[in-house]
Amino acid sequence: MIKFEKISKKFKNTTVLSDVTFEIEEGQLVAIIGESGCGKTTTLKMINRLIKPTSGKIHINGEDISMKNVIDLRRNIGYVIQQTGLFPHMTIRENIELIPKVQNKSAEDITQRTYDLMDMVGLDCNEFLDRYPTELSGGQQQRVGVARAFATNPDIILMDEPFSALDPITRSSLQDELVSLQSKLKKTIVFVTHDMDEAIRISDKICIMDKGEIIQYDTPENILKNPVNDFVSEFVGKKRIWTSPEFIKAEDIMIENPITCSEDLSIFKCIEKMRSYKVDSLMVIDNKSKKLRGIVKAKQMRLIDDKSIKISSVLDDNYIYVSPNDTIIDVLKSVNENNISTIPVLNDKGSLIGLITESSLVTTLSQQYIEEEA
Amino acid sequence: MNIFEYFLQNKTQIISLLIEHIELTAISVGLAILIGVPLGILISYVKKLNKPILGVTNIIQAIPSMALLGLFIPFLGIGTIPAVATVVLYSLLPIIKNTYTGISNINPQTIEAAKGIGLTKFQILTKIQIPLALPIIMAGVRISSVTAVGLMTIAAFIGAGGLGYLVFSGIRTVNNNQILAGAIPACLLALVVDFLAGVVEKLVTPISLQEVKSTAKKDLIKTRKFQKRLLVISSIFIILVFVFSSITKVNTNSKSITVGSKDYSEQVILSNMVADLIEEKTDISVNRKVNLGGTQVCFSALKSGDIDLYIEYSGTAYGDTLGYPPISDVEKVYDTVKNDFKEKYDIEVLNQIGFNNTYALAVKEETAKKYNLESISDLSLVASNLKSGTTLEFLNRDDGLPGLTKEYNFTFNDSIGLDGSSRYTALVNDKVDVVDAFATDGLLKKFELKTLKDDKNFFPPYYAMPIVRGETVEEFPEIVPILEELSTVLNDTVMMELNYKVDELQIDPADVAREFLEEQGLI
Repeated sequence: MIKFEKISKKFKNTTVLSDVTFEIEEGQLVAIIGESGCGKTTTLKMINRLIKPTSGKIHINGEDISMKNVIDLRRNIGYVIQQTGLFPHMTIRENIELIPKVQNKSAEDITQRTYDLMDMVGLDCNEFLDRYPTELSGGQQQRVGVARAFATNPDIILMDEPFSALDPITRSSLQDELVSLQSKLKKTIVFVTHDMDEAIRISDKICIMDKGEIIQYDTPENILKNPVNDFVSEFVGKKRIWTSPEFIKAEDIMIENPITCSEDLSIFKCIEKMRSYKVDSLMVIDNKSKKLRGIVKAKQMRLIDDKSIKISSVLDDNYIYVSPNDTIIDVLKSVNENNISTIPVLNDKGSLIGLITESSLVTTLSQQYIEEEA
Repeated sequence: MNIFEYFLQNKTQIISLLIEHIELTAISVGLAILIGVPLGILISYVKKLNKPILGVTNIIQAIPSMALLGLFIPFLGIGTIPAVATVVLYSLLPIIKNTYTGISNINPQTIEAAKGIGLTKFQILTKIQIPLALPIIMAGVRISSVTAVGLMTIAAFIGAGGLGYLVFSGIRTVNNNQILAGAIPACLLALVVDFLAGVVEKLVTPISLQEVKSTAKKDLIKTRKFQKRLLVISSIFIILVFVFSSITKVNTNSKSITVGSKDYSEQVILSNMVADLIEEKTDISVNRKVNLGGTQVCFSALKSGDIDLYIEYSGTAYGDTLGYPPISDVEKVYDTVKNDFKEKYDIEVLNQIGFNNTYALAVKEETAKKYNLESISDLSLVASNLKSGTTLEFLNRDDGLPGLTKEYNFTFNDSIGLDGSSRYTALVNDKVDVVDAFATDGLLKKFELKTLKDDKNFFPPYYAMPIVRGETVEEFPEIVPILEELSTVLNDTVMMELNYKVDELQIDPADVAREFLEEQGLI
């Protein structure tokens, strides 16, 4: 939907952006993040042409924005900045209705739209419409800012650190509301922030910038799990993953080559195999399809007197498993609820792809503390 | 006569001058806003123009208002236009500066938000920048308006009227009541203007930007209603003033002559006589533009056609206007002036009208007795003990103090310049010992001063003579014999007597003129 093509920007001798190329897809909320001076705000302001690129092109829906009427362009892009963005001499109503009024829309439509918008951002019309911005709290002002950005029902909304001056509680409730608003209205939102927690919390994709270049542009999950370089992992913070455990998936922590055996093996052979691999359970699989038949445990084996019978006859096929996309939270829940120490990971065909054991869980969970000390 | 009696007696004149004053001030401030606000906006956009424009307005502020007025007379003539132009120029600085400051101090993020949501430049200006800067702009307008009320008193100097008329005439004739009658309404007007502008300033400040506790908000809204009413009433009043004065101005006769005069009693009396005579004996209507500054103002006005005639003095025309070195030959002075004026300016000089208002030196009777002074020669012997206080004009003219001291070969202990009648006050209070005077000055009689005889015939002749625009004489030849009739009834003593009536007895010069003409049977 919004496509940056080799965008560069120079102010006199300093290069602010060099060769930025990326695309923001329709209906996504993309957070641009980086340290101050990295070019994130410059990138944002190029979308509504507050800043002109030195070279390169930006396309919105395939149209080169530099060819469009700048006023029309801006009126079709919502713009939210910190609370100073509200005009102090106008009431809340006047602030929201400013653009619709200069577009000469009918008074009825405007009023209706204003009431809808106030509803949308959760502010009471009777209480707030005729007040001035200074009479509102920071959070309320920012809600009005969001309402104003939606006034012309634009497809794209730009937000430049809109919540950064708010207290943490207000901020997180506004973030939640933004996410739910976004999922309802499916707007394309570009959101500049310097707060990684905020970016992870709200965005579909994160664009990490440094010194005028895009370092990594990916989903929050991938950025957390696979930082492309030290800068990103440093920036993201090594322990960051623990504040978002939902991004830790079963496949990330499983042992990929668990010790397996086929159904026709004798119990004796199985015990031997466990002993030699120093494990206390075996995954019994179908040799061809790799489908999991069941799990056998060393304790269980020892109780059987006839050690020559095939394992299939004693197999417990009523086992608990998880799928690779289940989060670490799901895994822990299963472990606790079922009081088991190993849990196999099966793909959607039922084939065994890995195993999570107590010790692999302990190893994973202990990382956050051990890394901290290191 | 105390000040209240004076007010009551002259209330119609004071009120009409006050109205004139309000009108002139309103026009000037209005124009200053129309020019200053766009300029302020311009320099906040084009920063390069900032320094030159503010620099020029700063310099204008530093020029004395009288000098600026003087510069305008050759281009703009006399009357309302140059007066308004001067006051407008003085009012510009605060308005431009405050507009500039108001607009540049707006939070740049607010402007960026306005741009970002898609307002055009013009919409940003009208909907965001001007409303936000308005309180500061109004503070500038307030300063300008109050200054303009005070400054507008100079309008009287070039015949534009206003309360300055009373102040200037009062100073000329040492009439404190008259000065106060001009000054007090001017002060009150300034206070009212300041108050009203303050109300506007508050009204244009958005409620949200005023420092008010939220509990007081209701009261604030109430006061705002009251203030709005007050403003509506005052604007209606100003509009009525304009309507009223434009109605009264409309009824002017197509056959009309404008008579001017300089700004002292003798001139005002003479111009009234001239006007009365013309009105009495012809069907021409006469506009009286009395009390126009000095010679330069009157002469420029005559040349430009703002006035059609006034009474000039032969020596002034010869020395000042034509720039010849002073001589004492009466005939030669008159003939030269008559020929030159006709040739150079197409101005007709009529016959001299019987009195010679030349310079004289005057001392207190006590001083005269103490040093046994009769003539300037007597004075020259003791001058080194004495201090002179003369008009600035006399102090600098070749036919004034510099020439005189040369001719009689003496110097004063000290010579200071004192304008107008304040030198008489200085003399009475012994701050100076010798003053210059005009031979027919009524104040000589008022203060019982001794004039010293010009025994070496140094001072040039200053005979009064009407000078009239050539076109006017062609159009109304009948006025020439009428004006020349004056010479049959006027002489030095009579003129001093008439001046005395105005200066000391404080009778209105128009009444003095009329009474005299009636006594003489001319009307």
